[in-house]
Amino acid sequence: MTESVALIFDSVLKMLVGLGMTLQLLIISSGLGLILAVILLLMRISGKWYLNLPAQIYIYIFRGTPILVQIFIIYYGLPQFEFIRDSIFWPILREGYGCAIVALFLNSGAYTSEILRGGVLAVDQGLLEAASALGMSKPQRFLYILTPIATRISLPAYSNEFISMLKSTSLASTITVADMTGIGRTIVAQTFAPYEIFLSLAIIYMILTFFIQRSFGWIENRLSRYTKKLGIS
Amino acid sequence: MEAIAGWWDDYFWASIVVFKVFIASLLFMVLFGLIGAMAKLSNNRIAQKLASAYTIVFRGTPEILVILLLYFGSAIALTSIAQVFNPDIKFLDVPPFWAGTFAISVIVGSYATETFRGAFLGVDPGHVEAARALGLSDFQSFIHVRIPEMWRIALPPFGNHMLSLVKDTALISIIGLNETLFVAKQATSFTGKPFVMYILVGCIYLAFSTVITLTVMGFEKFGNRHLKEAL
Repeated sequence: MTESVALIFDSVLKMLVGLGMTLQLLIISSGLGLILAVILLLMRISGKWYLNLPAQIYIYIFRGTPILVQIFIIYYGLPQFEFIRDSIFWPILREGYGCAIVALFLNSGAYTSEILRGGVLAVDQGLLEAASALGMSKPQRFLYILTPIATRISLPAYSNEFISMLKSTSLASTITVADMTGIGRTIVAQTFAPYEIFLSLAIIYMILTFFIQRSFGWIENRLSRYTKKLGIS
Repeated sequence: MEAIAGWWDDYFWASIVVFKVFIASLLFMVLFGLIGAMAKLSNNRIAQKLASAYTIVFRGTPEILVILLLYFGSAIALTSIAQVFNPDIKFLDVPPFWAGTFAISVIVGSYATETFRGAFLGVDPGHVEAARALGLSDFQSFIHVRIPEMWRIALPPFGNHMLSLVKDTALISIIGLNETLFVAKQATSFTGKPFVMYILVGCIYLAFSTVITLTVMGFEKFGNRHLKEAL
C-alpha cells in the first residue's frame, strides 16, 4: 500500500511537469481557433455564396472526422511531400508539438464557429432593426450590438467546447508530445501500474475542468450582470 | 492512388469493425444514458448523487485516458484472477473491441444522461395530465404520450452523441483495435505513402458521419411532420 502511495506521489509530481505543456496546447490552439472561428463566422454570415460555401465545407470536414485522424494526417501525412518539407512551415510541422497545435486549432475553429453562429442567430432581430433605425452603419451594428449580445449567448456552449479542447490536448500524447497524458503513459509503460497513474491523472484533469467551469461561470455572471438588475434574461 | 491498390480489402474489413463498434456502443450508450437519467430523476438521494458523480467524472476526463485505464486495468484484474487458477499465465487481456466499446459508451452515455433527462423534463406536464384525465393508465400515458414527445426533443442532441461515438472509435486503435486508423498505420509502414492512407481514413469517417447526419435529419423531419401541417 505504501508502495503505491509513494508511486502515486512520485508520478503526480512528474506528470505535473507536463501541466505546462497541456495548458500551452490548450491556450494557444484555443486562441488561434477563436480567430479562425471568427473568420469562418464572418464568411458564413456574409450572405455571399462564394464565401459561405468554402466555410461550410471546411466546417463539415473538420467536424465529421475524428481529431486523432486529423492529427495523424498532419503529423505523418504531410511530410510525405517535398514542397511541405521545403516550405517555411516545416519548422512547425516537423515536431509533434507544432502539429498538435495546428491540428487542434483547425479543429476547434470549426466547432467554435458553429457555436458563435448559434449565438449570432439567437440575437433578437428587433435590436438590429432598432440600431439601423438609429442610423448605425452595418459595421457599427456588428460591433456594438451583435458582438456583445452574441458573445454572452454563446458563452455557455463555448465553455463546453473549451473543456472538450482540454480533453483533446491529451491526444497530442500519441505523436510524442510530453503533455500530462504523454508523461503518464511513459510511466505506465515503465512501471505497469495503470490504476494508480491513470486514475490520478484523471483526477488532475477533473480539477482542471472544474476550474475552467468556474472561470467561465464567473465571466458569464459578469457579462450578464445588467440582465439581473433589469430582471430580463 | 496505386499505392492503395492492395489495401482496399483491409480498409473494407476495418470499416466493418468501425460499424460493429458503433452498433454495440450505441446500445450500451442508450442503456447507460437511460440508467443515468432515471437515477437523476428518481427521488432517491443516493441515486441522484451517484448519477451526477458519473456525469461529472466522464465530462472532465479525456476519452483516451478512460480507454487506456479500462483496457490495462481490466487486463491486470483478469491476469491476477487467472493466475489464481493457473500460475503459468503471464498476461490476459479483454479484447480491445470490448474494452474500447465499453469505454466510449460509458463516456458518451454520461452526455446522453443529460439529454434524456432534459427530454423527460421537456414534455409538457399538461399533456400527461390530460392523458390521465382521459382515463389512460400510467403505463399507457407513458407509451402513447411521453415517449412520442420525448424522442423528438432528444433527437438532435442524440444525433451529436452518435457522431461522437463514431469519432471516438478512432481512439480505440490506440489499444490495438483493428480499425481503419490501425490499418492506415500498417499500410504506411509498407508503402511509405502516409498521406493517402490517412486521408482515406478521414474519408471513411466522413462517410460514416454523413450517413448518420442524414439519417437523423430524416428522423427529425418524420418526427416533426405534424408541426408542418399545422402551419
